[in-house]
Amino acid sequence: MIVQATNVSRVFPMPAGPVTAVHDLTLTIAQGEHTAIRGPSGCGKSTLLHMLGCVDAPTSGTLLFDGQDIAALSDRERSLLRLNHIGFVFQRFFLLPMLTAAENVELPQSEAGVERETRRRRSRELLDYVGLGPRADHRPSQLSGGEMQRVAIARALANRPRLLLADEPTGELDEATGQQIAALLDRVNADGTALVIVTHDHALAERATRVLTMKDGRIERETRR
Amino acid sequence: MGVFWAAVVVAAQGQQPPDILVSRQLAEAEGLGVGDVVDLATSAAGANARPFRIAGIYEPTPDPMQLGQVPREVRMHLPDLLSLTRGPDTPAGTEHVDSINIALTDPRDADAFARDLASRMPGVSARSTSNPSFDGNPFVVLERFHLAIAIVTIVAATVFLLALTIMLVDERRETVGVLRLIGLPVHRILGQIFFEGVLIAGVGALFGLVLALGSERLINEFFQWRYNTALIFVRITPEVAATCVAIAVPLGAVATVAASWALLRRGALRLARR
Ligand SMILES: Nc1ncnc2c1ncn2[C@@H]1O[C@H](COP(=O)(O)OP(=O)(O)OP(=O)(O)O)[C@@H](O)[C@H]1O
Ligand SMILES: [Mg+2]
Repeated sequence: MIVQATNVSRVFPMPAGPVTAVHDLTLTIAQGEHTAIRGPSGCGKSTLLHMLGCVDAPTSGTLLFDGQDIAALSDRERSLLRLNHIGFVFQRFFLLPMLTAAENVELPQSEAGVERETRRRRSRELLDYVGLGPRADHRPSQLSGGEMQRVAIARALANRPRLLLADEPTGELDEATGQQIAALLDRVNADGTALVIVTHDHALAERATRVLTMKDGRIERETRR
Repeated sequence: MGVFWAAVVVAAQGQQPPDILVSRQLAEAEGLGVGDVVDLATSAAGANARPFRIAGIYEPTPDPMQLGQVPREVRMHLPDLLSLTRGPDTPAGTEHVDSINIALTDPRDADAFARDLASRMPGVSARSTSNPSFDGNPFVVLERFHLAIAIVTIVAATVFLLALTIMLVDERRETVGVLRLIGLPVHRILGQIFFEGVLIAGVGALFGLVLALGSERLINEFFQWRYNTALIFVRITPEVAATCVAIAVPLGAVATVAASWALLRRGALRLARR
């Protein structure tokens, strides 16, 4: 078990009254699992994903990562946990524009204290893995959307995370490019990384072995294949 | 001074006339040179004029109190001055003076010396020229005025700097959010931003100094030309430079950290999502 969420809720206090984005939800993510989360806009998918990724903490309930209670960790410890065990991929890529593709992939490794030569080698390998070896020295502005997303995936994999979280990874891409990204994510999962993908894209969700459908902050339906 | 300029006589004389020094400004205005012999008299009409030989031209000690008055001055030996100015009915040796300047070996003794003199010779008023802090001294007033301007400038610049750093940090809100998501702890990011803030403030202070040093020359040259004086109007001393850096760098660092702290408190997610 990588993540174990028990009765977690996330309430945002707002001036007009509290907003419950995730409501009393229980969920586990197992090693190597491939999960998709679907549901209408505003149902709490991203909020749940952020809690699974230890970026956000539940307002009630317990969330264990690798058996560790997230609530008991300091910001520094949570940061380290994200750095070493969790990879994020977003709809809008979020690459650092002033760094090249290779440098973007090197960044989490250098933060984790990986030695220069080793991280250079790993960055090249990862860029080859996502099919962007020849574009290693290009900056994000010189890459297409699909290419940027592939760099973002390579970056997310840099420290060999056990869990890769993706929020609408194909949201800004055309269908053909979206399929390339989907295939790449499949390969990441096949190579052993647990995958949780939030998506509106039906085809992308269908590739998962487990599909959760959310509504109003709750899991309404779960299908396994 | 009581000595009026009468006429210029460039003539060889039997006996060598006494030497005088002429201020640069007077020499330039009247076209005088070293070796010229001139007549000096105590009255504008030129009565009782005596010849003097110009032994040199000097740059008068600039006096900010006399700014705008071009010093058309002559310096002569005291006996020459006395014999030139003494009235016919005043016996030699009974002249009097109203004031004299005294140079001390150690100028720091000035106040003690003044006190000492005043207690020994009641009625004599002794005052240190290097400590012009008596009330009503226009330069003390000016000094306070400068201090007020400096404080207002620094406060305004700080507000501006703060606004600038907030903009700078806000522009990088997405980058900071991404770094947080990747797993960089707050203190690492703050450290990086702090470093950049200090760097920017340091470079800014240096730029300001270079600008000040450049304009120092321009301002001095302009006003020295304008008022025909050797007075130094602006002087950037090492202390001024050090004060400038000592104020700017911590201020820049504090401003950057304050701005980024406000930003980081909002959490990684809201940063990256906008
Ligand atoms: N930081 C926040 N502050 C206040 N309310 C929030 C915040 N984040 C999310 N919410 C609210 O929580 C609810 C769920 O938001 P969330 O972003 O998780 O939805 P979602 O399922 O990801 O939607 P979408 O498919 O449009 O991305 C929404 O009503 C949203 O307004
Ligand atoms: Mg969302």
